[in-house]
Amino acid sequence: MNNNSNKMFFLFILFFSTLISISSNSWFGCWIGLEINLLSFIPLISNSKNLLSVETSLKYFLTQSLASINFLFMILIKFSLLKNFNMNNIISIMMNSSLLMKMGSAPFHFWFPNIVEGLSWMNNFMLMTWQKISPMILLSYYFNKNFLIFMIITNLIIGSLGGLNQTSLRKLLAFSSINNLGWMIFSIMISENLWLFYFLIYSMMISMMISLFFLMNMYFMNQLFINNMNFFIKLNLLINFLSLGGLPPFMGFMPKWIIINFLLINKFYFLTFIFMMTSLIIIYYYIRIIYSSFMFNYFKMKWVNLLMKNNMSLINLSSFISISSMILSTFIFM
Amino acid sequence: MMKFLFMMIFMIPLCFMKNMFWLVQMMLFFMMFLFMNLNLNIMCFFNMSYMFYCDIISFGLILLSIWICSLMIMASESLFKLNFYFNFFLFNVIFLLIMLYLTFSVLNLLLFYFFFEASLIPTLLLIIGWGYQPERIQAGMYLLFYTLFGSLPLLMGIVYIFNDLNTMTIYFLKFFNMNMYLLYISMIFAFLVKMPMYFVHLWLPKAHVEAPVSGSMILAGIMLKLGGYGLLRVMIFLQEVNLKLNYIWIIISLVGGLFISMKCFCQVDMKSLIAYSSVAHMSMVIGGIMVMNYWGFIGSYILMISHGLCSSGMFCLANINYERLHSRSLYINSGMMNFMPSMSLWWFLLLSSNMAAPPSLNLLGEISLINSLVSWSNISMILLMMISFFSAGYSLYLYSYIQHGKYFQGLYSFYVGSSREYLLLFLHWFPLNMMILKVDFISIWF
Repeated sequence: MNNNSNKMFFLFILFFSTLISISSNSWFGCWIGLEINLLSFIPLISNSKNLLSVETSLKYFLTQSLASINFLFMILIKFSLLKNFNMNNIISIMMNSSLLMKMGSAPFHFWFPNIVEGLSWMNNFMLMTWQKISPMILLSYYFNKNFLIFMIITNLIIGSLGGLNQTSLRKLLAFSSINNLGWMIFSIMISENLWLFYFLIYSMMISMMISLFFLMNMYFMNQLFINNMNFFIKLNLLINFLSLGGLPPFMGFMPKWIIINFLLINKFYFLTFIFMMTSLIIIYYYIRIIYSSFMFNYFKMKWVNLLMKNNMSLINLSSFISISSMILSTFIFM
Repeated sequence: MMKFLFMMIFMIPLCFMKNMFWLVQMMLFFMMFLFMNLNLNIMCFFNMSYMFYCDIISFGLILLSIWICSLMIMASESLFKLNFYFNFFLFNVIFLLIMLYLTFSVLNLLLFYFFFEASLIPTLLLIIGWGYQPERIQAGMYLLFYTLFGSLPLLMGIVYIFNDLNTMTIYFLKFFNMNMYLLYISMIFAFLVKMPMYFVHLWLPKAHVEAPVSGSMILAGIMLKLGGYGLLRVMIFLQEVNLKLNYIWIIISLVGGLFISMKCFCQVDMKSLIAYSSVAHMSMVIGGIMVMNYWGFIGSYILMISHGLCSSGMFCLANINYERLHSRSLYINSGMMNFMPSMSLWWFLLLSSNMAAPPSLNLLGEISLINSLVSWSNISMILLMMISFFSAGYSLYLYSYIQHGKYFQGLYSFYVGSSREYLLLFLHWFPLNMMILKVDFISIWF
């Protein structure tokens, strides 16, 4: 669909549906919010002129409605059959599974790279950031700790190993999103505030990267090498990907460090080790993407010139924030 | 201490202006002079300000890092002449210097880790950005991943210590005893990979060879010493486990040093030979630190400083040959005495320091280390004897192959060393051989 007021209408309902879901007093309200979320996201992503878009929105609808139906069924069973608040039962596992499937977390992640491949960058941005809010918060209301820790490990491993053989930038970011979901699920088990902190910084980093790829209209890895990119764009790409990988001195180190702090407070030693080692694998495939910005002279075609004169200030600002926000964040505590 | 940090931060805009290449180098020499005039007090932390301090170990290593960074810029004149992104190169050097300065001078162990990791990024950029061969990509990967693999458990250990002790100040750590095996392994593994110890040394030949001259200088000069500095700081609160388990690392590093020294004889690439000799010297440093007596610490610290100067000087010499002959191979770089006899003086001076001939600082370091290791166990005499003998062997081997003999017939023409190159080598050699006259300011800690 064109950029018109339809999009604004559905976007407003999308935002509103998340608010319904997370601020409702009853589980029914949560379910209603999830359904409205699905209903309003479908018109945003389907474009009747493009067959791939239609197929993507159909796949999205099928998986998400399956998860929602599952969620509703488990809510009803919980209300009618179980009268306790004990979280260590099968119903909490089922409810968590349906919410994990809504988010695209492993082991229910198989739809996620597929659908991400079929969407444009801006729709991907909505899918990777906003669509995770309400399932996450609903997850924090009734979760089974042992099950979620197992899911975290699965998320980390699948997110890191799945991205190794990809050349499409969208699928790479999808697998990195699955890996970051592992970090986020752990953070929401600790506290919602911690999750919000991780989520905001993650969304900021993803938004910088996605806006960069959107402006350059890049969807595949070979496009990074063919173009004649401006030096500052390459530098921005470098900084953003290293920041997303969690390397100091960039901004992305801070949420990972704080999560490790809470992991070690709660004595999850082996889990911390898995977090670190999968993070290494992720850094490996990020660095593969940013080879083009490391090497100054590679074989590039000069006739594909990326003219980005009008958008440079935003890009420079975002790199500056990524580098210096570790230092600037100390000003919060002044 | 903050004043040096701000001086370096404000040199960054200077890097991007026109025709400021040599001015940045002059400013770094000026900063070195200012830093040398700090009051040096032994046995305490001095010059403390908000989060900075200076210890005697930090002082020497910061001096070394400022010195090597200014010499890095002097060695990279070809980047300026050929106009190959020298602005960004200057920015990289200053950024790396800031990170190294902060690593050695922050009071907080977590901030030490932060800047320790942060110094990897400009090094990676130097290797992949300005290196010469396509193998530099793999070299950068090896450097990054070996170091990260070691240092992520270090982060875990530091955060664990914070949660246990509720303090991260390095000074206060000596009052605690955290004697746990897993904590011990996670804390020292990062520094052993960085040093490097024998089994985890594979990144070093790759990274040193594929780096440009400035990258090799900073890697050999300072980045290896970050590991030694970290070990010196971290072992204080792990003393009992150290006494039980250090023999493993001493044995691995000494025997490994022996193997590496023998491997030096098989090298064809000049820079590869110098890189392997770095591993051999650092193996003795690890042995000295791990023995945990006073002579060992003194010897390893002196050897760290002297090896930084000596190895960096040898990489400069290798680059001087490379810029003229465009090859680092020993088959092509032979008979150089016929063409550049003055340069063969510098080859001899630096290689004799490498083999720990008097009156160089390496000699004092090796003597102290031999003292400490032999006092720990008599059997290490055999290993130390072989390592010292082979280090003399391969240094002479390198010298003789490059300088003596018949020259390669395929050479065209090149000029004898410029005064910039002689100055560069002189500034490497002079502290190395003259500091032995007043060595008590780095070797008397109490």
